[in-house]
Amino acid sequence: MKDPAVSEAPVSPPKAAKSPQDRSGYLFILPWFIGMAFTIIPFFASLYLAFTDYNLLNVPNWIGLENFAEMFSDDTWWQSVKVTFVYTFVSVPLSLAAALGVAMLLNRGVRGLPVYRAIFYLPSLLGGSVALVLLWRYIFGLNGIVNAFLGFFGIEKISWTSDPDYALTTLIILHIWTFGSPMVIFLAGLKQIPAMYYEAAAIDGANKWQQFRKITLPLLSPIIFFNLIQSLISSFQTFTQGFIFSGGKGGPANSTMFYNLYLYKQGFEQFHMGYASAMAWMLLIIIAAFTGLNFLLAKRWVHYDN
Amino acid sequence: MISRRDMLRTAGLTGLGLAVAACGRGFGGGGSEAASGKIELNMVWWGDAFRAQKTQAALDLFMKANPGITVKTEYQDSGPYKDKLATRFAAGNPPDLMMMRMDSLREYADRKSLLNLNDHPGIVETTNLSQAAVNLSKVGDAVYGIPSGLNAIGYIVNKTITDQYGVTIPDGATWTWQDLATFAKEVTDKSGKKVYGTLVDPATLANLVVYVSQQGEDLFTADGKFGVSEATLTKWFQMFEDMRKEGGFPPAGFVETIGSSPDQSYIAKGSIASQIIPSNGFLGYNKVSGGNLVLLGIPGEATAKRRGTNIGTPALWSIAASSKHPKEALQLLNFLINDVEANKAMGTTRGVPASTVVADAIKPTLEKDDQVATDYLIGLQKQTLVAVPPYPKGASGIQDELTAVAPEVEHGRLTPAEAAKKVIEAATKALSQ
Repeated sequence: MKDPAVSEAPVSPPKAAKSPQDRSGYLFILPWFIGMAFTIIPFFASLYLAFTDYNLLNVPNWIGLENFAEMFSDDTWWQSVKVTFVYTFVSVPLSLAAALGVAMLLNRGVRGLPVYRAIFYLPSLLGGSVALVLLWRYIFGLNGIVNAFLGFFGIEKISWTSDPDYALTTLIILHIWTFGSPMVIFLAGLKQIPAMYYEAAAIDGANKWQQFRKITLPLLSPIIFFNLIQSLISSFQTFTQGFIFSGGKGGPANSTMFYNLYLYKQGFEQFHMGYASAMAWMLLIIIAAFTGLNFLLAKRWVHYDN
Repeated sequence: MISRRDMLRTAGLTGLGLAVAACGRGFGGGGSEAASGKIELNMVWWGDAFRAQKTQAALDLFMKANPGITVKTEYQDSGPYKDKLATRFAAGNPPDLMMMRMDSLREYADRKSLLNLNDHPGIVETTNLSQAAVNLSKVGDAVYGIPSGLNAIGYIVNKTITDQYGVTIPDGATWTWQDLATFAKEVTDKSGKKVYGTLVDPATLANLVVYVSQQGEDLFTADGKFGVSEATLTKWFQMFEDMRKEGGFPPAGFVETIGSSPDQSYIAKGSIASQIIPSNGFLGYNKVSGGNLVLLGIPGEATAKRRGTNIGTPALWSIAASSKHPKEALQLLNFLINDVEANKAMGTTRGVPASTVVADAIKPTLEKDDQVATDYLIGLQKQTLVAVPPYPKGASGIQDELTAVAPEVEHGRLTPAEAAKKVIEAATKALSQ
């Protein structure tokens, strides 16, 4: 990169490293450094605590891998893994499918597109909010709208929120409904696909389904991949929904005991902060493993346009 | 109330404290604030805006009487309170005076985080406290706080509903669990299932402990083990499942945990005729249920092996062991417990005052419903009750397991016997950690 013509020009002499401009530059990025300190220090503190029996009140003792070993014999830990996996692997594909479907509908040149986009996006802005989860509880309550609607078809009342068989389903439906942010990204991606590809395909006699399979999906695959990774990570970290929905208990019968909810309960309610830290690192490993696997698989189905 | 001997003892302890605690955080420490002549105490508790208003009124009296001390309070809902308190201790910044949950008491006390009041005699006057009240805050011989108010669980029945359907309310002093079942079924039947007879949460430890004691067992043994047998737990779950089958109890899935305040309760909505409440909630429940509630004792008290009902407290007032101003915090504690005017200002938002003298003094100033609850509690303190040792470390794990299995029994996924087995396994594990 050393172009003699440029280096000889007195635009940025070495002296300037200490110029007032540089200092103000450093000053401006100082908040970032401070912010990083707030991330990095707890990061390493939690790594250390994961190997201790820290109970919040006393000095932590080093206990090696005991916390990690403990997890495998902890039924509730397994339950929390199960809940989180079921939630993620059911709701992520469905919400991405819903997002893509709606994005394609909106991409057909509807009038008042910004309005629809906003309407569909709204739930995902509110998705993790306390108010929305509470509202959801009322909608799915024993005398809520959903049961009233089902009653219309002669279906008996279902206790969506207090029956261990349905509580997680209710939260999965909530998650699917908040497909707005992947939808907006899909919409942007769809707009990038040149219309001439479809015209050419139409002339060649390809029907809509074939156009979708052969043009839309391959060209959109990097976007699908991005949305998939994003959704997976955020879904593994679900907390608010389970916490608010069950009043912080993960019930009924631990059926909404998300991994992070259990972690929180261990740390702050049972005073097992060491164990909670170990759980946090285990979650990091799980997420890293799934993300890595996705990158490996991505080679087979994600097409980059060069 | 400080005698000369107490003063000397205090002075001695001060010296000792300063000598032992190298950081100078002993009794009477915190010189910098003292030099400026203003001491700030931090006091935290949980509750609502109504309680805040009443608490502030009492604190204003305290600050007026003690011009050198300001009290800064913080409060929040009971859920977040627990986490925030733990975090503050972890950060080395505990409040001076705090409301301490009974099920967290030993978590803190056993780790030496709370001030043992026995080490600082002469400031907090406890002679007017009933034995039941003193027992609540004892861990072994140490005393880690004073009950912020006393309560007990009681049974409320909505008389408007029973009158409407012509059901007689049983005698609250002598009724049995079988009487409850019969009564509940009658309400359900006569109302044509518009109103269910009763609702008891089998997962609430405060309910279970009464039943367990009636069977002659202890929830926790003196050495901190889980004292409940599988048979008793099985009977406990079975009893409610039988009521559900007969109709006195609402069907599975009926109960949705939306909130725990009186106005969100099923008795307020008129879909349940009776339930268990903490006695200090009587006023609140009566207000939202149409004002015609009757307060009864817990079933089985007169006929069981021994008494089950016990004096409890929603929380203790405790002081952090590392408080910079323990003397002032103790003064404030004493004021909250023993000052009549302060308690008139606070009313019974935390239960009936622990001091029997104060309780008697403020009774005439209370609303009628609060007087009913106060009488219920004063009456109980005069009876012989079975004391419950403080919850051992890890006890919250038992509550978690109860919360988890109860809906499984309700929905028929576990038999009462299987649920009992699971609770015992979890309890043994939680308490051994």
